[in-house]
Amino acid sequence: METVLKENEGLKKSVKGLIDCDIHPYLDDFNELIPYLDEGIQRHMNIGKFEKNMLANMNAGSFTFPKARYANPNHVLRLDALTPGGGVPGSDPVFATQDLLDRHNHTFGILNIGHGTMAGYHNVEVAAGYTSGSNDWLYDRWVESDPRFKMTMSVTPVAPDLAIEEVKRIGHKPGIVGINLQCINIPLGKRHFWPLYEVAQEYNLPIVLHPDCEGTAEYAPPGAVGPASTYAEWHTTLSLIAQRQIMSLVCEGVFEKFPNLKFNFIEYGFSWLPSVMWRLDKNWKALRSEIPWVKELPSEYIRRNVRLGTQPIEESFHPKDIVRLIEMSKAEDMLLFASDYPHWDGDESDRAFLHFPDELKQKIFYENAKKTYRL
Amino acid sequence: METIQKGTLTSVVVCSAEELMPGQRKIVVVDGVEIAMLNVDGQMYAFRNRCPHQGVEMVYGAVSGAMLPSNPGEFIYGCDNQIIRCPLHGWEFELETGKSLFSPEKVSIGNYVIEERAGSIVLKLKREPKNISLRNFRCTH
Repeated sequence: METVLKENEGLKKSVKGLIDCDIHPYLDDFNELIPYLDEGIQRHMNIGKFEKNMLANMNAGSFTFPKARYANPNHVLRLDALTPGGGVPGSDPVFATQDLLDRHNHTFGILNIGHGTMAGYHNVEVAAGYTSGSNDWLYDRWVESDPRFKMTMSVTPVAPDLAIEEVKRIGHKPGIVGINLQCINIPLGKRHFWPLYEVAQEYNLPIVLHPDCEGTAEYAPPGAVGPASTYAEWHTTLSLIAQRQIMSLVCEGVFEKFPNLKFNFIEYGFSWLPSVMWRLDKNWKALRSEIPWVKELPSEYIRRNVRLGTQPIEESFHPKDIVRLIEMSKAEDMLLFASDYPHWDGDESDRAFLHFPDELKQKIFYENAKKTYRL
Repeated sequence: METIQKGTLTSVVVCSAEELMPGQRKIVVVDGVEIAMLNVDGQMYAFRNRCPHQGVEMVYGAVSGAMLPSNPGEFIYGCDNQIIRCPLHGWEFELETGKSLFSPEKVSIGNYVIEERAGSIVLKLKREPKNISLRNFRCTH
């Protein structure tokens, strides 16, 4: 008897190509990373052969990942993506190609590492050493395993000089298509980041922001009013991060200074876009003397330089309302499909866009990402 | 008030020059349309009194210069005394042309030719007005 576990559903033929801008590879075991980390960093972190287990629970053990404050009450990784061997979803590149890329006919799948909090780790030497090791691990284990896999490289936003070193070390590699920054307590528009932006623009690599650091114990909670109580409340606040960062980028003149640099906000949704555009435009008309380097409507800069991942797609009261919202924001060229595989809040490409016209789907599924990432 | 037809524009004497000295402002209502008149250091300006945004009276706006378009991080002040800002939100308009700074081709308060002639302030209008009057207002600028 043959048991077909998952149908090859595929996309309608009217849409050609699929670029998925958010796939999360995970370490099945932290020790996978050890060969990629310098010995000095291993000693500094007390990992690998230096691991200390004595009194591990008494704040005296080996390094542990910064923990998110909010635990999903169900499961943060989709249970239908457990590997055939029972491993962590997203930990086996071969299975991921079958379970995701083959099933949905992906042209490219862009990997954003599944434990990105480390890029913003408070100890910059550890953050830089870790991101270098994890970038190399990701390239070796995933990108080299299938030509459809591409990746964003992590850099530490805490120390732009070290971030630039990392871009110069591996930013030329063909499998790298963007730079994954983290949200720390410095708004993205600040001069702190400008040297990195200059190098990113030179390498033709977009800056990608994805939720990780915000809401950990390391950095401020995303909701400006104070910490959320639950995962449900916290997860809903994430969209505020992208809104706030876009306001910073516009007002500080980053899009004027780096006109060819794209900023991709992945996993913040997009239905808030009209509010950000309209509020910024209105304030600019009245207050432009304060930011005279902003020479045209903020919404024009946003439309030109900002891209937004569609996931987790907002589900409007009436399914077609979200399409109208895209039209009223003139955001057709701004949206990038993202599955967020294997996370619990992912979107299925063949089901989440049923009410979208084919022309719009073509842009969201393929064209916009092709023009935005270094593909 | 005295009107003088000249070419396609009609010249209207609205007040004496002594009533619109440097630093002073006047509102004239022409067939229901309010026109603000300003004397800024001896230079006369006239434009529609209502901001195209939410209809607030421009005559109460502050006259100033503006920050000119610049590179990020630079502040270049210019156009001193050539700009009027709406007293509500602060939209900036060029006194000479009435054009907004943020969208000169689409958003404007218009402008009228105004001049001093033989001790009178003369406003030039497209057609001869049926009703014209000065409107009192209080302005401490």
